[in-house]
Amino acid sequence: MLTIIVRSIIIYLIVLLVFRLMGKRQLGQMQPFELVLTLIIADLATIPMAEVSVPVLHGVVPLLTLVVLHFVLTLISRSSHVFSKIISGKPVIIVNPKGIDYQAMKKLNLSTDDIFEALRESGYFNISQVQYAIMETNGKVSVMPKADYSPVTNLDLKTNAEDSFLPIILVSDGKIIKDNIALADVSEEEIKQMINKYGNNEQSIKNILLLTLNKVGEGYLQTKTGEGVTFQKEVKA
Amino acid sequence: MKLFHYINFILIVALLIVICVAEDLVVSNSLKQIQSYCYEIEEIIDRNDNLKNMETVLAVDNLEYDWTESEGNMCYMVNHKNIQEIGQEIAKLKLYIASDDIDAFKVSIEQIKFYCHSYLHFMGANWHNVL
Repeated sequence: MLTIIVRSIIIYLIVLLVFRLMGKRQLGQMQPFELVLTLIIADLATIPMAEVSVPVLHGVVPLLTLVVLHFVLTLISRSSHVFSKIISGKPVIIVNPKGIDYQAMKKLNLSTDDIFEALRESGYFNISQVQYAIMETNGKVSVMPKADYSPVTNLDLKTNAEDSFLPIILVSDGKIIKDNIALADVSEEEIKQMINKYGNNEQSIKNILLLTLNKVGEGYLQTKTGEGVTFQKEVKA
Repeated sequence: MKLFHYINFILIVALLIVICVAEDLVVSNSLKQIQSYCYEIEEIIDRNDNLKNMETVLAVDNLEYDWTESEGNMCYMVNHKNIQEIGQEIAKLKLYIASDDIDAFKVSIEQIKFYCHSYLHFMGANWHNVL
């Protein structure tokens, strides 16, 4: 039994490494060839885990071979548009201003229910609101609404909206995120001062759930027991 | 980052090559060694009328010792179930020496040779195995 436990740990770490090497795209937006690789990896990983007579190498070697194959396929599809189209396909317009493209629908083996489901997921419940809907190579549907149904932007309203800045997390669950201190251009001493000032007299960083700060000094602080407060830090001259 | 990916790729390919070459060397050397022990034992049997002699006992002991070592090395790369018959036949050889059953002993030696030959074919990289 100990053998199975150790083998499971080894295989888990190797599969984790394999997915890391394949890149983040693997986790969300899978192309057909990536989906195939993922399915095979899932199957391969279980063989040496469950069967003690099978050496771990019998699981590791195919996994590493698939990493190499994925790398080669990605490399070729990046450099060759034709190859990319062969293995990943190309985006297909399924809804155009005239309505649903029946030929495209048949070609993709979709039903009208599937199209409506994809449109609803994008927030459009009526097909008359849609200018274009495109089935992407990863199976997701991108929707471009008609002008009347497009969300209004500040540009449309001609308002002088200011750009917002990304809040940088300085303290998360009682721990200072050291990598972000330089990014936010603050010191640990300043963080402590902010906590003392806005954190209901909280003295300890351990009791801070979240502290964020953006480039213009807008901050948010919440202790583990209290409510969140927004504050404006004095910006360095 | 791109360089890091290329380095990873090269390292993995190199590792796969090393594993393939190591497997081929370990498996073929081990099995060929066992085969040569078998031929040696056959010659000893031909020279003697019975199995109860030091030469045969020592030769079988050497065969068993060598197999134990080889099996240990091969288990990193080969499914245990595929090679366990050789160990079983070697164990039988000792029983046949005790009962001086020369015919059964010869059959076991033949079987070990046959298994080694089969596994050498089965484990090698060729089109029969690939397809």
